Amino acid sequence: MRQQISRLMDGDLEGAEAEAAFGDLKRGDGLENWACYHIIGDVLRRNGYPTAGFASRFAARLDAEPTVLAPQRERPSQSSRLPFAWAVAATVAAVAVVSSVAVSMLDPQPTALAKAREANAVRTAQPRTQPVSPDYLLAHQEYSPTTLIQGVGPYLRAVSAGGADGR
Amino acid sequence: MIAMRRPGSHLPWIRQTLFVFAWLALIPAASAEDAAVWLDRAAEAAQKQNYIGTIVYQHGGRFETSRLVHLNDQGREFEKLVNLDGPAREVIRMNGEVRCYYPDIKVIRVEPRTFRNAFPSLSPQQQAALTDFYTFRRAERERVAGIETQAWVFEPKDGLRYGHKFWADPVSGLLVKARMFDERNETVEQFAFTEVAIGVKIDRDQVKPSWPVTPPDWQIRQAGPSEDAKDTGWTVTRLPPGFVKIVDGYRRLRGARQVVHLVYSDGLVAVSVFIEPVGSTMHSFGISRQGGINVVVRQQDENIVTVLGEVPVATVRQIAHSVARR
Repeated sequence: MRQQISRLMDGDLEGAEAEAAFGDLKRGDGLENWACYHIIGDVLRRNGYPTAGFASRFAARLDAEPTVLAPQRERPSQSSRLPFAWAVAATVAAVAVVSSVAVSMLDPQPTALAKAREANAVRTAQPRTQPVSPDYLLAHQEYSPTTLIQGVGPYLRAVSAGGADGR
Repeated sequence: MIAMRRPGSHLPWIRQTLFVFAWLALIPAASAEDAAVWLDRAAEAAQKQNYIGTIVYQHGGRFETSRLVHLNDQGREFEKLVNLDGPAREVIRMNGEVRCYYPDIKVIRVEPRTFRNAFPSLSPQQQAALTDFYTFRRAERERVAGIETQAWVFEPKDGLRYGHKFWADPVSGLLVKARMFDERNETVEQFAFTEVAIGVKIDRDQVKPSWPVTPPDWQIRQAGPSEDAKDTGWTVTRLPPGFVKIVDGYRRLRGARQVVHLVYSDGLVAVSVFIEPVGSTMHSFGISRQGGINVVVRQQDENIVTVLGEVPVATVRQIAHSVARR
């Protein structure tokens, strides 16, 4: 089964095989293994590893975020990633060391995994909320017909606490 | 329908037809002209009425509360808007100009309002665009801020503009709520009074800035008046249908930088195009958003093009990518 997990992480499993592996993950200590292997992988790739309670904090923040259904963006290049199976085979000792670290960080909440998967599939396509200089907003505002009927209300965009920093 | 079933009716289908026509004639057909007339009335109310209230500004899941006071003193407009949430910023309209006070960063921005004073209502071109690209209709009556309002909707006929719904006080014509929505009918931005007193006595003291004398360590950033009716030589080659150019001129922003400023309007909203040489100021490129305003900033040869307006991103982007020298 551990073999299947590493193949799944490397994207080697498809269709029925992948379904079977997902089924295995839901049983016994499958989820713990899955999470543990990811942490090991991150450490081996020197991506850094999450601190204690990361998964529960992540789940909480994910809960707080609105779900935006939008077309998925181009995936970043995968070329820098080390095949996981190879890495494991080469560094059994390292696994032994970091897995004890990893186990201590495991989140007992099984929903974290499902949420992470969901987050990957659902990407945001909203424009950034980044302040544009109020100079432009103010120069624009007086020409908009909505300003004629709403008075200075629309100027709130330029002084809004959540928007421009005023600079 | 009762009339049709009356005994002795020899030609029921004629009766039915006439009945239907008569009924159709009674439907308030909100025509092209009505939209412009309605906007004129709302604009007049916004300028001539005295009112004071609490306004909630909603955008992107955020809510901010402000206090708004408006006074028309013998034809002269005074208006004060104070942020009640976050930094105590305020907007003052006085003597034809708008001042934005940012006490948190010790800055006052001054915007001379030459345009609104010169063109208090829509041009015939804007009026035509308004009715060609929006369906204007009367909606429900609804109680807002303690007022039995009449709601009106501008439904866009294409995907290049947002929809607008306005709730107006039927007595004064003043808007008490304005909502801008996207094609999924989700709110993009909303201004709404939670309570408002219309036609009340307002003192000049109530519309005075909180800082009548500029503190010595504050900075005043004065924008220059627009130099209008000039041909800057810039144009938009793929202008979305319904938008007509209403401004082609230069602006001085912060007193120093001179930028080209073009404005296009469809009668209800406007899109601004700013063009300035590279290097005059810092810009963050790409798409961003400020409340209901979408912004695209891009570099085009030796110029920075900034396009913004209360329209969907696609519209801003189309304009930003077709700015050219004539």
